[in-house]
Amino acid sequence: MEFSPVLYIAIPLFAAFLIPLLGKVSKTLVKLTPGIVFLYLSYGSILLFPKAMEKPIVQVVAGFKPPFGISLYYGATAAFLITMVTIVGFVIWLYSYKFIIREPIEKYYMLFMMLITGSTGILLTGDMFNMFVFLEITSIAAYSLTAFLRDKDGAEAAFKYLLIGSFSSTFYLLSVMIIYSYTGTLNFADIAGKIDLIPPMAKGFVLVLVLVGMGIEAEMFPLNGWAPDAYSQAPSPVGAVFGGIVVKAGLYAMIRIVFLFFKTPEVMQFLIFMGILTLLIAEMAAMRQHQIKRMLAFSSIGQMGLVIIALGIGTMGSTSAALFQMFNHALIKSLLFFAAGYLVFHSGSKQIEDLEGLGYDKPVTSFFFAVGALAIIGLPPFSGFWSKLLILVSVAKAGDIAILLLILTGSVIEAIYYLRAVVKLYTRKEVPDNVRRTPISGLVAMGILAAIILYVGLYPGVIEKWLAPAANNLLNAADYIKAGLF
Amino acid sequence: MLYYIGAISLILIGMYAVLTKKNLLKIVVGLSIVDSGVNLLFISVGYVKDATAPIFSMPSLTADKMVDPVPQALVLTAIVIGLATTAVALGLVIRLYDHHKTLNINKIRQLKW
Repeated sequence: MEFSPVLYIAIPLFAAFLIPLLGKVSKTLVKLTPGIVFLYLSYGSILLFPKAMEKPIVQVVAGFKPPFGISLYYGATAAFLITMVTIVGFVIWLYSYKFIIREPIEKYYMLFMMLITGSTGILLTGDMFNMFVFLEITSIAAYSLTAFLRDKDGAEAAFKYLLIGSFSSTFYLLSVMIIYSYTGTLNFADIAGKIDLIPPMAKGFVLVLVLVGMGIEAEMFPLNGWAPDAYSQAPSPVGAVFGGIVVKAGLYAMIRIVFLFFKTPEVMQFLIFMGILTLLIAEMAAMRQHQIKRMLAFSSIGQMGLVIIALGIGTMGSTSAALFQMFNHALIKSLLFFAAGYLVFHSGSKQIEDLEGLGYDKPVTSFFFAVGALAIIGLPPFSGFWSKLLILVSVAKAGDIAILLLILTGSVIEAIYYLRAVVKLYTRKEVPDNVRRTPISGLVAMGILAAIILYVGLYPGVIEKWLAPAANNLLNAADYIKAGLF
Repeated sequence: MLYYIGAISLILIGMYAVLTKKNLLKIVVGLSIVDSGVNLLFISVGYVKDATAPIFSMPSLTADKMVDPVPQALVLTAIVIGLATTAVALGLVIRLYDHHKTLNINKIRQLKW
């Protein structure tokens, strides 16, 4: 059977609705379904990935040719990010297998599948309103997952996220409306061709609405108030979902729209500026955190700042470096959340203080945390090193020393607080012996991630050769318009 | 024009409620007022005076006598999404009330920003 891009949306959605039914039959089936879905999707990625790198695949849904119908655009960038989503999703499933033991598990997996549907939808769609729908699918699943543990703080974090999130989608919907009222179309490629029909005033307004709307999902400063609470109150695998999948999809949406419609030097300058603010403020906030998951959340915001800076520079080199960094961050931050999840579980406390001595009691989990920490700081031989290096090189090439220094400052702060946590782990201290062990599925999940991180660190070429087509696809609006309208 | 003003003032009223009210339920009501405002605004964009639905089986109907059907289809979707969001929000409010026995947002706020 021919694998078509629409299956990336259809299969997780189908699985999401199948899971509650399977729950009536057997819990094991419920647990296995997401894994099968991810295996099938990665099989699809293997088939489609090389094709998409050469030429974008445009899939017409429901038989209306673009610009009238909804079309899916599976270009190089989308292919790259969707492959990333499938990998991360698969490991998150593996990790959840033994981590989510609390009922109702079928609801957890259902929402998880919904979230995957929404995120791949955002990455794939070529239609502005369709993107809004997928954004909302993602957000509603994310709100519910945040409150999954049914505790006080979870509900509060979820409500906060919901408030901010609904504003984000309202703003985005308003921008869709303004664009539609001037151009009379919703297809990205078609709008990009007709963008001059919008008067400058309205165009500026639309830009602000899009930046605010999608900036909330992409954790751009100052719109990221939801992130630390949601990350730290949700179950650990959900933290990995947010950092690895949701945020990446939001950022892709924002950048796709900005690069297609509003690519002027001023806007790019503004992106760099916001990126720097996001990076520095988040890193400083992370420094002050006493809870490990809050620290990881702020670090995730900081990393997104770094990516936004690199995208704002907008050269070929910096864009591919930004994509590389997105890929690395998704894997490394998932690894950190996985390890932190079990460390918190073993020590029974979310405070960094209480992790003291766990490095000797739980050597394997702590080792994986240390690997993640070193990788995200950007030390060789891990993959984080190459993407950070590429970003720095591309910034230096663009000739802006001030930005270079600010990024380095951010990285130094980051190194300090990560190393502080790692040192805490390996400070010798008598810990009461506890018999709880990290289950094998969790260890395998972390092992896979660590192996990929190390492998990409040693042979960056495996990822690097795909970056150029992906970055080219993101930067080159003319190609997008041509392919999107055929 | 009147439609635009009405819709925009609905959005503003909703935002005012979300930003200033301390009661969780009032905040949720505010959110759904914002939703309605955006939906109305969207509908007004496609509105044509004295026009009717675009039914192609009526031969006397010409294109300038039709309203734009696209915004209506979109708004239908947006209404459903708004309903889902409101439902989730109300569910969370119930859970917050169970834990805290209050709906006042100042007394609930435990997580720092």
